[in-house]
Amino acid sequence: MKTGVYFCNCGSNIAEKVDPERLREALERSGAEMAWFRTHPFLCSEEGKQFLEQELREEMPDRVVLAACSPREHEGTFRRVLAEAGMNPYLMQMVNLREQIAWVTADPEQAVAKAAAAVNGALRRVALHEPLEKSELEAAPEVLVVGAGPAGLKAALTLADAGRRVTLVEKSPVIGGLPVRYEELFPNLECGPCLLEPVMGELLHGDKAELVEILTLSEVSEVAGSFGNFLVKIRRRPRYVDPVQCIGCGECAAACPATLPNPYNGGMDERNAIDFAFTGGLPSVPYLDPSACTRFTAGSDCEACRAACPMGPELVVFEEQEEIVERRVGAVVLATGATLYDCSGFPNLGYGSCPDVKDALEFERLIASTGPTGGEVLTSAGKAPASVAIVHCVGSLDDAHRPYCSGICCSYAFKFNKILQERLPEAKIHHLYRQLVAPGKEEFRLQNSAREYAGAQFHRYDRLAELEVVVDGGQKLRLAGGELVDAELVVLCPALVPNPDAEKLAALLDLPLDGFGFFEELNGRIDATRSKLRGVYLAGTCQGPTDIRGAATQGAGACGALLSELVEGRTIELDPCIASVDAERCAGCRVCARVCPFRAIGFDAEQGTSEVNPVLCRGCGTCVAACPMKAIRGNHFTDAMIEAELEGVLA
Amino acid sequence: MKNVEVAIEQGGAAAAETFQPRIVGFLCTWCSYAGADQAGSCQLEYPANVSIVRVMCTGRIDPEFVLKAFRAGADGVLVLACHPGDCHYKEGNLRAAQRHAVLVRLLEQMGIERERCRFDYVSAGEGEKYAQVISEVVSSVAALGPLSINS
Ligand SMILES: Cc1cc2nc3c(=O)[nH]c(=O)nc-3n(C[C@H](O)[C@H](O)[C@H](O)COP(=O)(O)OP(=O)(O)OC[C@H]3O[C@@H](n4cnc5c(N)ncnc54)[C@H](O)[C@@H]3O)c2cc1C
Ligand code: SF4
Ligand code: SF4
Repeated sequence: MKTGVYFCNCGSNIAEKVDPERLREALERSGAEMAWFRTHPFLCSEEGKQFLEQELREEMPDRVVLAACSPREHEGTFRRVLAEAGMNPYLMQMVNLREQIAWVTADPEQAVAKAAAAVNGALRRVALHEPLEKSELEAAPEVLVVGAGPAGLKAALTLADAGRRVTLVEKSPVIGGLPVRYEELFPNLECGPCLLEPVMGELLHGDKAELVEILTLSEVSEVAGSFGNFLVKIRRRPRYVDPVQCIGCGECAAACPATLPNPYNGGMDERNAIDFAFTGGLPSVPYLDPSACTRFTAGSDCEACRAACPMGPELVVFEEQEEIVERRVGAVVLATGATLYDCSGFPNLGYGSCPDVKDALEFERLIASTGPTGGEVLTSAGKAPASVAIVHCVGSLDDAHRPYCSGICCSYAFKFNKILQERLPEAKIHHLYRQLVAPGKEEFRLQNSAREYAGAQFHRYDRLAELEVVVDGGQKLRLAGGELVDAELVVLCPALVPNPDAEKLAALLDLPLDGFGFFEELNGRIDATRSKLRGVYLAGTCQGPTDIRGAATQGAGACGALLSELVEGRTIELDPCIASVDAERCAGCRVCARVCPFRAIGFDAEQGTSEVNPVLCRGCGTCVAACPMKAIRGNHFTDAMIEAELEGVLA
Repeated sequence: MKNVEVAIEQGGAAAAETFQPRIVGFLCTWCSYAGADQAGSCQLEYPANVSIVRVMCTGRIDPEFVLKAFRAGADGVLVLACHPGDCHYKEGNLRAAQRHAVLVRLLEQMGIERERCRFDYVSAGEGEKYAQVISEVVSSVAALGPLSINS
C-alpha cells in the first residue's frame, strides 16, 4: 500500500512550530509506513489544490494523509480534490497540525513529537479506509401539511406555487385556524377575514387549486416510512354533505329542528345540527354534527334538511362513513397551532362559574359581527357593560403554570382596548398585568393608544392569586392591593399552549416535544423550521407562541428548507458514513434500536434481526458501540480504524 | 517502537526531568473537537501530552477503546463530550456519561485509578476550558506516575 503524506506549511502557521524536516525524520526513524512526505506552502490555495490534484494523478497513491489544519475547516475541500483527481474521497485522513499542535504548543521539540504521533495514527488508520459511495434514493415530491391555520395555509400555498402537490389535512370542518374567529387584527386593526380569505380562496379556487387537496374533518392516524417516502393514513370523519355539489345556500340549516351549543362561539349561542361553523367559514359547505341530529341521537327518521336542499336530496348523505385516506409524501409540514391554557384552573377568577368571565377567544366572538351578539358587547344579561377588566398574563410568566411569556396576549389586549373604546366609549377599562410587552415594529401604536386612553387604568399584580372575581350585586374584581373595582365583564388572556393533538402526532412520528409540549426544533436558533426528524418541518404556534405574521412567515420559511431538500426530479443523497447491521452476527436483542437517538433502527421480524434505515441514520455510532454482538459497522469509523489510530498515536 | 516516547524524552530539559504521561483524548466532532480548535485559534498554550482521536459522537466510544488505550501504553484517557442538551445527535453524550460511570468502576477493579480516565464536557465555544482541562488532566495523571500495567 502506497500512502503519500502531504504537509502544509500554512504560510508559517504550521511550519514555524512543526519543522517539516524534523517531522519527516521522526516518522522515518519510527519506520512509519509512508511512501513519500512532501510539503507545500498553502495546500488549500488554488495553486495548492492544483499541485495536490496533479500529484495524485501522477503518483497514484492508494491512500493520502494531509498534515494540515482542522478537518472541520478543510476536509470537504480536500475530499473534492481527491474526487477531481479520480480518487475515492474517503481514502484520505487529515491531521490537525495547526489548531491542535502548532498554535498551542510552546516547545518546538514537543510539537514535532506530538505531530509525529498524530501522523502515525493517521497512517495506520487510513490504511484501513475503504472507498465509500454516496447512495441515492427516489423521493416522492408530494407534501403533507397538517393544520390549516395561517402557518399551514401559507405553507400549502407556497408549495403549490412551486408546483408541488399538497395534501392539507385539517381537523376542524373549516380552514383558517384560530384567526377566522377574529374580525380585527393587531397591530393595525386590519380586517381579519379580508386578510385570510384571499389566501384561502387561492387554495380553494385559484390557479394552483388543483394541486392542493384539502381534507377537512381529518386527522393523521398512521405514519410509516421516512424522508422521501412517508406513507400516511388519514382518518376522515363524514361531513354528511356532498362538498362538490353543495352551493352553500344554507337551506338545510334553516330547516333543521335540532340544535346544539355552537362551539365556534364558545357555546354562547346555538347552531343547528346541520349548519355552517359560522357565517363565512370556508369551505362554504355546512356539516352535520351527529351528536345533535336526531337521526343519530334518537334514531328518528327526520329528513328536513334533505327535503329542503334545492340541489336535490342526495346532497345530504346520512349514510356517509368515516374513511381512511392513504397518501405517499416525501415530506411533512406540521402546523397544528396552539390553544388557550385552561382557565378553570384559577377558581378565584371565576371562569366557568361566572357567566360574565370570558376567555380571549370567547371575547373575540363577542366583538365579531358574525358572533352570538352580532358584534355588540353584551353581558350575559344582555346589557352593555359599564366596566370591563382585562386580565393579562393568565398562566403565563408563572412558574406554577407556564413560565414563558406568550408574546401575543398584550397585543390583542390592546386591540380589545381599542375596540371597546370605540363601541363602549362610556365604559371603564381595567388592565391587570404582570408584565406589559408589545414587541415588533408596529405593535406600539395600539399599546400607546391604550396607555393614553383616559378610560383605561393599568394595575400591576404579582401573583394571580391576589386577584379575585366577586359577584356582589354586580360583578367586581378585587385588585392586588385589596381594592374592589366594578368589572361587569372580565376578559382573561390565558397562556398560549400547544394543541393537545401535538402529543398524538409526536407519538405517530416519533418526534420529540419540548418541556411545554411544543414541537422541538432541530435547532431553536439557526434551524427552527426543521424538526429533529428528517423530512418533517415545523411552522406556526405548534413550535411556540407567535402572531399571524410570525406563523405565516414560518409557513413560507419551512417550505424554503423543504424545497431545498426535497427537490423534484432529484434523488435524495445519502451519506455513506452511517451504520449497518451484519445480519449474520445480529442476535436480535434490539439494544441498538433502544440507544439510537434517531429511531433509525428497525426490526426484521421474519429474520429476527435489526436493520438500519439509511435515510434516518446520521452516523453517530452510538449503536455501534452498544451492540453486544459487535454486529454493527460504523462506516468510516469502524472499530478497526479507531483502534489503529489509537495504537498509532501511542506507538 | 516507542518512537514518540523517545521523541518526547529527547525534548526540552524540563521534559527529561519530570515524568511526561501519555494520554489519549477522545473528542466528538461537533463540540469538544471544535472547542479544541477554538483553543488553537486563540493560541492558548497547553501541554503536548494528549493525542487526540476524533469521533463523530462520544456515543461511539466503546469502553473497549479506553481499555485498548491503556493496554497500548496510555497513562491516561480523556473523553470530552458536548454539554448535556447540546449533543448534535441528541443524547450520545449521555450514553457516553453512563458508560464512563460503569467503566471507571471496572478500571478500579483492574487496579487503574479512576483519575486516569477523565470525562468532561467542552462546548465549541469553550477553548479556554479545553486548555484548562488538558492542563489539569496532564498534571493529575503525571502525579499518579506511569501506569503499572505498562511497565
Ligand atoms: C384571542 C387571540 C387573539 C389574537 N389576535 C391576533 C391578532 O389580532 N393578530 C395576530 O397577528 N395574531 C393574533 N393572535 C395570534 C394568532 O391566533 C396565531 O398567531 C395564529 O393563530 C397562529 O397560526 P397557526 O397556523 O400557527 O395556528 P392556528 O391558527 O392555531 O391553526 C392551527 C390549525 O391546525 C388545526 N389542527 C390542530 N391539530 C390538528 C391535527 N392533529 N390534525 C389536523 N389539523 C389540526 C387546527 O384545527 C387549526 O385549524 C391571537 C391569538 C389569540 C389567542
Ligand atoms: S444490538 Fe446488535 S445484536 Fe442486538 S439487535 Fe442490534 S445489531 Fe442485533
Ligand atoms: S449510527 Fe447513530 S443514528 Fe445511525 S443507527 Fe446507529 S445510533 Fe442510530
